[in-house]
Amino acid sequence: MDPYYLLLTAISLASIYGLLAIGISIIWSSLGMINLAQGFTFTVAGYGAWLAAQNISTNGFVVVAAGVLTGALAGAATGLLAFIPLYDKPNFPLRSLIATLAISLMGGQCLLWLFTPRVRALPKIFGVGSIHIGPATATYDKVGAIVCSAILLLLTLGWMKSSRRGLEIRAMMQNPEGAALVGVGLRSTAMAVMMVTGAMAGLASVLLSQTYFISPFAGTTPLVKGMVVALAGGLGSIAGALIAAVLIGFVEAFTAVQLGGQYVLITQFLFIIAVLLARPRGIAGMIEHSRE
Amino acid sequence: MAVQSDIEEPRAPAAPSIVGVRRWWLVLRGHGPASWQRWRYPFTRRTPLLSETDYNPITLNAERRILNLAPILWVIGLLVVAVIPPLIGNNSFVLSATSFAMYAAINIVWMLQISTAGIFSLASLATVGAGAYGSSYLSVYFGFPWWAMWLTGPLFGLVFGVIITIPAIRLEGFYYALLTVGIAELCRVYVIQDQTLGSANGLLGADSFVPPSMSDRGGLVLGYYLGFLLLIGALALYRGVNGQRLGRLLRAAPEKHEAFAEALGINYRIARIHVFLISSTALGGVGAFYATLLHGATPSLFTIDQLLLLLAMIVVGGIGTAEGAVVGTLIVVLFDKVFIGLGPVRLILIAGIMLGTVLFLRGGLFGIPAQYLAWRGKRRSERRGRHSSKGGEVMPEEAIEIADKQAIFLRRFDARLRAELKQLITEDLIKEHRRTFGKRRSDALERVLTYFRTAAVTDKYAILAVKPFAEYRIVALSGRRGVPPRAVDDQLFTSEQDALHGVFLKRVQDLMDS
Repeated sequence: MDPYYLLLTAISLASIYGLLAIGISIIWSSLGMINLAQGFTFTVAGYGAWLAAQNISTNGFVVVAAGVLTGALAGAATGLLAFIPLYDKPNFPLRSLIATLAISLMGGQCLLWLFTPRVRALPKIFGVGSIHIGPATATYDKVGAIVCSAILLLLTLGWMKSSRRGLEIRAMMQNPEGAALVGVGLRSTAMAVMMVTGAMAGLASVLLSQTYFISPFAGTTPLVKGMVVALAGGLGSIAGALIAAVLIGFVEAFTAVQLGGQYVLITQFLFIIAVLLARPRGIAGMIEHSRE
Repeated sequence: MAVQSDIEEPRAPAAPSIVGVRRWWLVLRGHGPASWQRWRYPFTRRTPLLSETDYNPITLNAERRILNLAPILWVIGLLVVAVIPPLIGNNSFVLSATSFAMYAAINIVWMLQISTAGIFSLASLATVGAGAYGSSYLSVYFGFPWWAMWLTGPLFGLVFGVIITIPAIRLEGFYYALLTVGIAELCRVYVIQDQTLGSANGLLGADSFVPPSMSDRGGLVLGYYLGFLLLIGALALYRGVNGQRLGRLLRAAPEKHEAFAEALGINYRIARIHVFLISSTALGGVGAFYATLLHGATPSLFTIDQLLLLLAMIVVGGIGTAEGAVVGTLIVVLFDKVFIGLGPVRLILIAGIMLGTVLFLRGGLFGIPAQYLAWRGKRRSERRGRHSSKGGEVMPEEAIEIADKQAIFLRRFDARLRAELKQLITEDLIKEHRRTFGKRRSDALERVLTYFRTAAVTDKYAILAVKPFAEYRIVALSGRRGVPPRAVDDQLFTSEQDALHGVFLKRVQDLMDS
């Protein structure tokens, strides 16, 4: 077995799952909502990119932009349906969880209706081929995935650190009530969070669709994996999500190479069960008690 | 808006709006000597139907009030469920009804885990799957008959319950929920991989409780009635656990108040684990029933889609009540099985119902009465808050602080009387008062004067003869012994009748100002 191949696969998977997991994690910590519609956002963004590739242009930038834009719109729609009407109502965490679940169920069926169960493929936006970096050989799509998600992650983290809106999001993560008292608009900030995380899911969708196909329920597995990563990292912690993404990417790549693809989910769940039993709030999790 | 116009209008004189509303009870009359008889469960003092007998204070009839209608509604509902499907339905309808009974049983037991034990486990269906696969395995490979499967299924459920309880001790809330989803997924992947468990087709060929000699229809109806018994059993278990010792211990230790319960000596952790294991055992039993009904187990028991459907059922009905579990199951199964011709649209409808429920209802369908009452109370207090003019009446907020309720009514009466009298005051009436000293007066004037005469002594107007038959002035009595009256103004009257008329004018002015 080629250790470099393993490493590269692990990192490219980690970067894609990381995009989803960080989205889930940010939504949980700032909005207090477990977003199970993130998988739906993922799928819709895939279809948006596919439609753009069919109707506008197969240029890589156009496809990525279409995916990111559709993802942001789907995220905003989820926020409008599940967060805005519910956030000040009693029993919000459970109700919003069920609402996002219902959105994802409904959205999946609508996509099935609109686009039929046929799978679709995106154009290879990074081209076909591979480059050699020292002893390692890397296909373009893997390098592209790593570079693109790294760029978007860095942009998002920088934006969260330095912009006014990012400051508001961080304030909302620490204490939503306090943030509201000092004049942070909870609704507008929440919508910004939903759009940014939706855009992340959209990018993840385009990147993962370089390897897999788009189908109405393609979002379920990435959602489960993103959730697993977010949980293992600790809900609410971006650093934890990154660490967990790398670890779980390794577990997946290692299992796929050593045991076979069908055992991937088993080893991943065993891994996360082990992590959670050792650290009940995930690797770097702290949030549940501080967010009250 | 209707509420707004309510306030602007003068209040209807007959509307009694004391704080609180009398409850409506179902009243049965004419029981005679049987009025005080109670049915009781043997060897206990508990009655199936909570009722109260009393004499009506007005008619003096003995009346029996049924205080809790729930048992009657349950019996009617269950009778309908028992009789209707085999009577009117075709075969597929009976099969749907059987799966309704089974899902309802699962949901009721699941409610024990989620609501009573407060452990948000999403592995309920996986526990059923464990019972189904375990008992099917014993039947297929060791030739267990159906009754032995029913006995072993709960054991598998218990073992599975023990396994998934271990993380529940350390994890809480959503972490545990997502972990159980993971466990269910693990089980699904495992049974699909394993050849001895039948891979993706499921483990089929288990023994069934339907005798081979029975007709198709007969087998379906038998299955339905056994499913119905299962539902009754689940309800009995719910009542036995939630309504008895364990349920009460756990009700004393709700979320965020565990420390207080612990200080009272309640070991809520042990109670939770007890409830969880009991319900896991019951779910294993449902799994065994599933296996004997469908001749085996399939991996669909472990899929997330099925789990979501179950979650939709309990969310629609309302988490925390057995009736919510049953009615929610009924609604979702109706959409899922009966409208199967609609294809994927029916799933969109189910998701729409789910979304509508969480967006508009706090506690599902069975939370509607409480939510309505809360909403009505809110609207009422808003309306009270908008009252700006009092007119001497007691506001409802004040009323609860006045012990003597007669005083409240006296003030209300006074306010309404003054409102009536104000309409009688006219120019003619005042002139009539000046003209008619010592003569017969009109009805309106007599009414006004009678009201003035009943005024309290404190600050009551009187006339003072400064010089008898020559100089009079108006004073107001102090109402206290030894404290002299005070002068009201400088006006001097030359005759007693002028002074009396002056007092009358002052009183009319006060009345019109009030």
